[in-house]
Amino acid sequence: MLSPFPAKYWNRYTAAHLINRAGFGGTPAEIDALQSLGQKRGISSAVESFLNADDNGDLFEVPPMLTPSDRYSFQQRLKVAASETEKQAIRKEENDAERTAMIDLRLWWLNRMRYTTAPLLEKATLFWHGHFATSNQKVNYPYLMWQQNETLRHYALGRFPELLKAMSRDPAMIRWLDLESSRKNHPNENFAREVMELFSLGEGHYSEKDVQEGARAFTGYRVNQQTGYFQMSPNEFDPGQKSFLGQIGALTGDEVIDIIVAQPQCARFIGRKLWVFFVSDNPSEQIVDEVATLLFRNGYDIGATLGVIFQSLAFYSPNVIHEQIKSPVQWMIQTTKMLEIPLPDPQVLENSLFMLGQALFAPPNVKGWDGGRAWISASSLLYRYNLAAYLLSGRAHVLGGGVKKTPIPLDKIAPPSERGGEQQLVDPLGFRVFNSPISPKNRSEFFDDLLRHPVPYTDIVVRDLLQIMMGTPEFQLC
Amino acid sequence: MKTPQEQTLHTRRQFLRTSVLGGALASTVPLFLEKTFLTLDSMAAATTGQYPTGKDGTILVVLQLAGGNDGINTLVPFADDAYYKARPKIGLPAAQILKINDYAGLHPRLTGIHDLYASGNLGLVQGVGYPNPNRSHFRSTEIWQTASDADRNESEGWLGRYFDSCCQGAEPTVGVAIAGQTPQAFASSHAKGVSFTDPGQFRYMSESAGDPKAAEMFMREMNTPGNGNESIPDNSGGSIGMIGGSPSNGGDTLEFLQRTALGAQMSSDKILAITRKTKSSVDYPRTQLGNSLNLVSRLIAGGLPTRVYYVSQGGFDTHANQIPTHDRLMTDLNGSLSSFVADLKKQGNFDRVLMISFSEFGRRVTENASGGTDHGAAAPLFVIGGGVKPGLYGAYPSLTNLQDGDLRFDTDFRSVYATALEKWLGAPSEQVLGRKFPLLPFI
Repeated sequence: MLSPFPAKYWNRYTAAHLINRAGFGGTPAEIDALQSLGQKRGISSAVESFLNADDNGDLFEVPPMLTPSDRYSFQQRLKVAASETEKQAIRKEENDAERTAMIDLRLWWLNRMRYTTAPLLEKATLFWHGHFATSNQKVNYPYLMWQQNETLRHYALGRFPELLKAMSRDPAMIRWLDLESSRKNHPNENFAREVMELFSLGEGHYSEKDVQEGARAFTGYRVNQQTGYFQMSPNEFDPGQKSFLGQIGALTGDEVIDIIVAQPQCARFIGRKLWVFFVSDNPSEQIVDEVATLLFRNGYDIGATLGVIFQSLAFYSPNVIHEQIKSPVQWMIQTTKMLEIPLPDPQVLENSLFMLGQALFAPPNVKGWDGGRAWISASSLLYRYNLAAYLLSGRAHVLGGGVKKTPIPLDKIAPPSERGGEQQLVDPLGFRVFNSPISPKNRSEFFDDLLRHPVPYTDIVVRDLLQIMMGTPEFQLC
Repeated sequence: MKTPQEQTLHTRRQFLRTSVLGGALASTVPLFLEKTFLTLDSMAAATTGQYPTGKDGTILVVLQLAGGNDGINTLVPFADDAYYKARPKIGLPAAQILKINDYAGLHPRLTGIHDLYASGNLGLVQGVGYPNPNRSHFRSTEIWQTASDADRNESEGWLGRYFDSCCQGAEPTVGVAIAGQTPQAFASSHAKGVSFTDPGQFRYMSESAGDPKAAEMFMREMNTPGNGNESIPDNSGGSIGMIGGSPSNGGDTLEFLQRTALGAQMSSDKILAITRKTKSSVDYPRTQLGNSLNLVSRLIAGGLPTRVYYVSQGGFDTHANQIPTHDRLMTDLNGSLSSFVADLKKQGNFDRVLMISFSEFGRRVTENASGGTDHGAAAPLFVIGGGVKPGLYGAYPSLTNLQDGDLRFDTDFRSVYATALEKWLGAPSEQVLGRKFPLLPFI
């Protein structure tokens, strides 16, 4: 299953598949470049180009956000405020600033995903964001959400135990799972339960007692109000003997994590999640075993594990290629890349990703996003079709009125040489849009549509065809 | 003379061409839809579908309280010392409780619900749970949605199985969920039921189709700051908002997408027409729950043949600082339910509707150190409707004789489902739920 995919089967479609899963898609030119690399220097080189890519993150300016010391100042101002009216004004000022910051922070990350030179790093960060699902709806602190994002990115392709420990000390996470109020005499069980249930072992692989004992090990974890940094409150830490998953000792939070990752079940749990996110739903037990063994042996090295997966026979199986429902973020980034347009207006982006069910930094619950078929309801599917039509219209409403034209570069997408006949246009356009062979049924329907129009096809005809193509079930798959 | 099939095909093509969806330009209608329409149509023609629909038959409304509602502070055992001993900080003062009997009463904000009890339209089923209770949000929600035993993993929802066994040939709108994701309760291999949050977005629009106005509206909506953001589930009460299910059944992904699109196509016109025509005569709270129930009442008024509606209220995972959060949730619940009932009564539809609430679990008897409560087990639920026999059902679980620190259940939730299925929807509960569960007398 994880044995290497034979080089002789490497082609445009497998290259497209790799670009879509290890990243967020690409133009035909980018797909061809990757195909060429794989052909000349082997599939491992193609995969390594994702693993070793340089991150151009510095190019993306982090938006202004209220830092912990800014927030602290607001607190102080509130304390000395004379009247209730003044207090309300101060709160409004703070809330308005933070609301803008959140929108900007989403845009910042989406821009990174759109223009990064290290797409696998961003895709893995997105994976971990869903895994450690922390929502700003409760945390209410864009600066901390940004810090968590950077921490996730730092460890995204590194070793999972280090990531888990970093998350246990992450200020946003501590606020999210109420770890701040966990005291020696009254530990808050929420964090301990979620660490095991959702982050590392999964349900049924620990007892209620383990939750209670684990909670004791995570006492004393605090966030400094002024600096926003993690700090231990030694007085609140429970130094007593704990019995956790069969191990006994005066366990600290880190030691509890060490015990957790030493369970083979942890490797199975993480392995399965990686497979579902990057490859396909419902992996067989055999595949989960293989990935788990790999993870367990290489110290939970995520990058190395993905490297093996992306070169494997199973990854390029016909049951995998073009069988995954695009997440809303994937849909948006892949679509704008393929149409060679920038991201839509910030307000449109914000609203549409929310409507499609994936507001970054605000997953619906601690389990993150269910993904797969859960992205699709009658409503969200229609929304995707309408969103495609909107993007193709090339119109952009600017906040405060007025319409900006940011048309699709149709000359590039369908140059004159491809406008002389159905086959000339449908095949290359179809590859750009679907990255996979078009079914005979769809192909003849696209042909039928074009037959009504004279050649050479005008921009309007090309755009209409794009709209039809993007309004299909097939377009929802990558 | 056209054959019936040709006739149907002709009608469907007309529908596509001239509806809001199709407009004048066929090229902008997703082509696959035209072809699959015919298939579904002949399927529908083959069955006669002789069963009552929501147009004039009975209707079930399922209300999910997502996150684990604290049943003990909802139906409060004010006369029990053990209550105040376990909850020195968050125990509610006896004087504020809306008394039901000498032992328990309702949360102070549930004034309207208390009125419903007095007027004979409300039942309270106490101690609802199941054997081997699970304290994970996801697992326990899944158990309630699939009606499975705690040690089994089912993927089909109990309502999905109801649709499958009883409503073959029914329209996709046989189940309507006001939600961003299809709830797992609807999951089945036949993808019945539609879900949406706003009927306004629920249609296919395009600039070049014969409906530039609609396209303009869509664009305007998409460009409005905060559009839709009001309904982001408020998670400040805890880490759980609305929980979606993941209907990951076997079967072709592509086919699943096609069926969903078809369902959307068929329902969207009808639903939009109804919501344009009907208006509520009653004010609802401007909350997600209020909006959802408002929409449901209009769909009922408009004669949509839906048999089961599903709505959800999130934010119940009150691990910390429970009192103000739970207060707010109870206020919303009370206002929304009261408005919904008043609305249905005005329409003359109240007698046809049964609502049952549920939550994936209750919360622990003893408060924690953060002024909140952790995940528990059994809890009470509401049954509301014109056909409800009012009263308290089951017994209030003991606050001292606990199981792993939590209330023991008295009534298996599958009995509540079975009662709704048999006595309200006229469906064979044993077939839907997999085995027989004793029925309850609340209907």
